[in-house]
Amino acid sequence: MTRRWFAHALALMGALNLAAVAPARDKEVQQPSLSYLRDIFPSIYRPLPRADTLIVHATILDGAGHRIDDGELLMRDGKVAAIGHDLDRTGATVIDAHGRWVTPGLIDIHSHNGTYVVPLTTIDEKASDVSELSDPNAAGTWIETAINPQDPAFPLALAGGVTTLQVLPGSDPIFGGRSVILHPITATTMQAMKFPGAGQGMKMACGENPKGENAELHRGPTSRQGELTYIREAFERARHYMEDREEGGGDHHGPPGKGHHPMDDNPMLDTLAAVLHGDIPVQMHCYRADEMAVMIDLSHELGFRIAAFHHAVEAYKIAPLLAANHICAAVWSDWWGFKMEALDGIRENAAFVDAAGGCAMMHSDSPFLGQWLNVEAGKAAAAGRRAGLSLPPEHVIAWITSNPARALGLDDRVGSLVPGKHADAVIWSGDPFSVFSRAEMVFIDGAKAYDRADPHYQPGSDFMLGRAPQAAR
Amino acid sequence: MIRAAFTLAALALPATLSAQSVAIIHARAMPVSSAPLDDATIILANGHVLSVTAHGAPPPGARVIDAGGHIVTPGLVGAASQLGLTEVLAAADTTDQSVSSGPLGPAFDVQYALNPNSTLLPVARADGLTRAMVFPGAAATAPFSGMGALIRLLPTGDILDRPRAAMFAAVGNGSQSRAGGSRAAQWGLLRNALDEARRYAALPRPSGPRDQLLNRPDVEALAPVIAGTMKLAIQADRESDIRQAIRLAAEEKIHIVLMGGAEAWRAAPELAAAHIPVILDPQADLPQTFDAIGARLDNAALLARAGVTIAFSVSGNGIYLSYDAGIDMREGAGIAVANGLPYADALAAITKGPAAIWGIEHGGTLAPGADADLVIWDGDPLEPASAPLAVLVNGVEASLATRQTALRDRYAPGRQDAMPPAYR
Repeated sequence: MTRRWFAHALALMGALNLAAVAPARDKEVQQPSLSYLRDIFPSIYRPLPRADTLIVHATILDGAGHRIDDGELLMRDGKVAAIGHDLDRTGATVIDAHGRWVTPGLIDIHSHNGTYVVPLTTIDEKASDVSELSDPNAAGTWIETAINPQDPAFPLALAGGVTTLQVLPGSDPIFGGRSVILHPITATTMQAMKFPGAGQGMKMACGENPKGENAELHRGPTSRQGELTYIREAFERARHYMEDREEGGGDHHGPPGKGHHPMDDNPMLDTLAAVLHGDIPVQMHCYRADEMAVMIDLSHELGFRIAAFHHAVEAYKIAPLLAANHICAAVWSDWWGFKMEALDGIRENAAFVDAAGGCAMMHSDSPFLGQWLNVEAGKAAAAGRRAGLSLPPEHVIAWITSNPARALGLDDRVGSLVPGKHADAVIWSGDPFSVFSRAEMVFIDGAKAYDRADPHYQPGSDFMLGRAPQAAR
Repeated sequence: MIRAAFTLAALALPATLSAQSVAIIHARAMPVSSAPLDDATIILANGHVLSVTAHGAPPPGARVIDAGGHIVTPGLVGAASQLGLTEVLAAADTTDQSVSSGPLGPAFDVQYALNPNSTLLPVARADGLTRAMVFPGAAATAPFSGMGALIRLLPTGDILDRPRAAMFAAVGNGSQSRAGGSRAAQWGLLRNALDEARRYAALPRPSGPRDQLLNRPDVEALAPVIAGTMKLAIQADRESDIRQAIRLAAEEKIHIVLMGGAEAWRAAPELAAAHIPVILDPQADLPQTFDAIGARLDNAALLARAGVTIAFSVSGNGIYLSYDAGIDMREGAGIAVANGLPYADALAAITKGPAAIWGIEHGGTLAPGADADLVIWDGDPLEPASAPLAVLVNGVEASLATRQTALRDRYAPGRQDAMPPAYR
């Protein structure tokens, strides 16, 4: 059964890859041929006004493993044009970053900004947009349809050096739904923040959260084994759905809106089918090592791809297994103990994942931590160094730049300051891993989106307007 | 390297630990009570700091610890934590931090629940924390949470340092639902409670059936508050509540400590004038609730500039409060520095400040006569990436081993044992 499915999936991969490989930069986003992947809410993001910029005399960590002292970064037409020394400054605005550090824009692979909208009120207590809770299977939901761009957490993430973030649904459903990748540039609509051409992920959750919620709501599996079986059944349904649509010559090979509908679209099964196709990677909330190992086996059996385990407090116990399966681990620096499945958290987690050749990432999950990912990485790396590992800054910066870019499938565009990639960069007041350093300027697509010294480049959400004065009396 | 040396030295110690004097040499001392001192010799005897002097000679017979130029500070003092009350936050049967049902209000006393074997304590101590106020969470009945206790993170024995160390209450931020849905009801109940405590103190029996709201244990628990011998800590974020607290302190002539205080900067001069200290979260810059619309990262800097005594307690979505109680305060202090608070004030806000707020006479500094609680750091203590090389509590070096270091060692990369990790 599974082998048959694998063959089926491989046959389809070719067609899908065309859409995936030509991810139409910025403006021209091509619609994939399968309806499963149709972008119903296309990005209308446009880079902010920009000028070609040359940053000089900076300590640069390029996100690709290099450190360039007294280095230069040239950004032209929104792309990294060159990095090194003595670059051509013709027509470029020059910024002297003496004593400053430059890194790629930070990427938060696990944010709830826009859905865990502050201030929290009893409205959210009753019905929050973090997760759809009517069913343990919310795979059909798209979190982007809930994003409130006026969440005050977005401009604060930007001020913390974040240039790209993935908003994930919460972990109470087993299938949380599709994620969305945004730039934290406050806009009037979600579409205007949406990273053009970025794919979606699907949130899934293991362990305590879904089973606890199910038990409380008297619906869905109430045990880990129940969750596993539930996942198998859901994917089995999705496989039949795909086969039926293939055999029925469904509309999904034609352009949107044309052809007949041999059967109803099912948003839930569409998502699961896209996951089985390998077009939407799974972003899986999992704490315990044993559970992650079970989920890896399950992914092999059913034929889906886990891009990353999120929270993953026990990733260090199975670091080689994660590395062998090319699964990233998104972790906190020091959160532990607050629930049973988080008891074994250690501060060396990211470092041990890294030491096994794996892909370690810091994530926020919280609008507070989402402003301090650099400090998170600093803490986690320091713990690793104390355990005897060599973790130079030029390597550690990958945990909050190129590694999350990889897990999001965006490493061809962002996450490192390599010529041709998007000019997403941060100028830090000092060592980016120090608590004393702040992001001074943040560039997205070569445009200055934030400047700590210039109020004209400090976006604020509508929510904060017209309230009690923010100046000291 | 240095850690290994410390460990070896500790192994060689005689049994009469606390009696022996200890000399820490080549320290960059940050006594908090006085200016930093390079190449300092810190002498500890009988559980107290004897002296901090430049280039001082260790006394004969003292155990000598070479700090190798590293920074030495007083042991950190947690202004507000729930250490010893919480094991697994999500598993209610492992937590004791608040009274979730029943009539117990001010009389709820956390001292009886303290667990010295909690796995959270060694983690906090290994991050430099040697003392903390353990405060009760919001109770089933508003606005009083109950009485907090001071703990000292001694490696063995009783951690309770002073029971009934302060009274706690919470106003606003959604907790008004417990008082019938309005913060006005919370303030009314709070004022009434103090009033009943006064009347009860004057005439220690209820004057008639249904004549008072508070039961006997609650009204008796409030007696030291109205007598001015116990501080009343009020958790509040909104400016209006903060101003109510200032008014209450003046009208009732009681000692109030403000906790939370997201909008405290708006009333900074008044708080300073009223000598009301503020325990705040330097990381709180989001309008988390409608009470905290004015939250900002320079709250600490603005308060300190106005002359308010400050101390730090970092929430981290509630997780930092207990699980990482040592590292979080240092990170918070670092963030406050990055946002305008002078370094010395930030260090004081995790040492001398909380000690002063809670009346820990000999804690939070390395002044002569202070308790011999100190930390030798491998870097800047306000960098959360730094860690202690050694922690001394009551003059005795504490082990830095925790459940986490045991897990770390068991799963260290590259181990190629034939037997599974459980045999390591």
